[in-house]
Amino acid sequence: MTARSDATRGGMSRFLFIFVALLAVSFGAELTPWAQVWIVTPWTDAVARIAGTLMRTFDASIATSGNIIATTRSTFAVAIEAGCNGVEATLVLVAAMLAFPATWRHRLAGIAIGVAAVQLLNIVRVISLFYLGQWNADVFEWAHLYVWQALIMLDVLIVWVIWVKLAGARRTFAGDDAVAA
Amino acid sequence: MSTPPSASPLHAAPTVTGFTLRALGLLPFAFVVWYFAAPVLLFPVVLLLRGIAHVGFSGLVASIEQSAAIATFVTSLRISGATTRGVLTVDVNLLLYAFGMPLYAALTLASRSKSWRRNLALGYVVLAPCVAFGAFADFLKNVAITAAPAIAAQTGFAAWQREAIAFAFQLGSLILPAVAPAVLWVALNQRLIAVLRRGGESVSSA
Repeated sequence: MTARSDATRGGMSRFLFIFVALLAVSFGAELTPWAQVWIVTPWTDAVARIAGTLMRTFDASIATSGNIIATTRSTFAVAIEAGCNGVEATLVLVAAMLAFPATWRHRLAGIAIGVAAVQLLNIVRVISLFYLGQWNADVFEWAHLYVWQALIMLDVLIVWVIWVKLAGARRTFAGDDAVAA
Repeated sequence: MSTPPSASPLHAAPTVTGFTLRALGLLPFAFVVWYFAAPVLLFPVVLLLRGIAHVGFSGLVASIEQSAAIATFVTSLRISGATTRGVLTVDVNLLLYAFGMPLYAALTLASRSKSWRRNLALGYVVLAPCVAFGAFADFLKNVAITAAPAIAAQTGFAAWQREAIAFAFQLGSLILPAVAPAVLWVALNQRLIAVLRRGGESVSSA
């Protein structure tokens, strides 16, 4: 029992160390001019384009340009910036999946499905904020700055826990078959 | 007749769905408490900010005042305009860096751990410095990078220091507020995560 607890604690320390290291490296890389030009900006524009395309199915007034979503009904528009494009949430999820002991097959499947799940919720965030902003500026501020930030991270956490459940099989933080005793 | 207390140490294991619904249900409650308690919750953060300013930036920051969730940095940087003369003050909204607190509280309460009080307290102790880090980086970014050149020049920061401030600001605003509560929750709830993985099985409450 003690040996298992020690192994799990050691596994957790290893997981946290690798997670933080991967996150620091990927976040640092994200901030480089090269990554901003070739990855973050196209990604952000794609988020705006996809959200705009979805919104046009029920709102013909929607127009997009680069990272901006606007409506022809008024002068209201939103610009998707860092923190709202889902890039950081994606980095967190990928780092957490790579840091946890699992097979590469499970990791790659988890990253593909998990990133899609996080981005899907992020699209919902963008669309909801666009309409909240036209309705009430205070509610928009609250949802934008606090509530959706927490919800996206909760989404990342839940996706990770589900992935650990499905892909982790009988693995633990210690990386062995310790749990199902 | 009364029903005898259950002698079984077993109880139904929590599921991912149940945990998620509880966390989502608790989140609005946590946000309301957090918002109205912010002046008290964030007072220690302001003390931390004062400590950081005193130790590392005493030539730059004269004082830091708190008004609700706003920290006002009174600097020693001079403003000289045609009609104005004085020192620069910078307001930082601490809530921007503290939204991880209600998230962590919702996760902790949704976990139904016997140690929820200890975990909440531990979370506060860990998250408060993260809030201070983000807020101070925000202040530094304001005076060293986004301020007018005449103001920024007075700070005396070298190019590499401005780069470091920019990185610290991005880290403190985009990563730490959201990731710190999640990481802490994972670290303190390994047993629950193991149970969630086996959702539907019974577990010993011992």
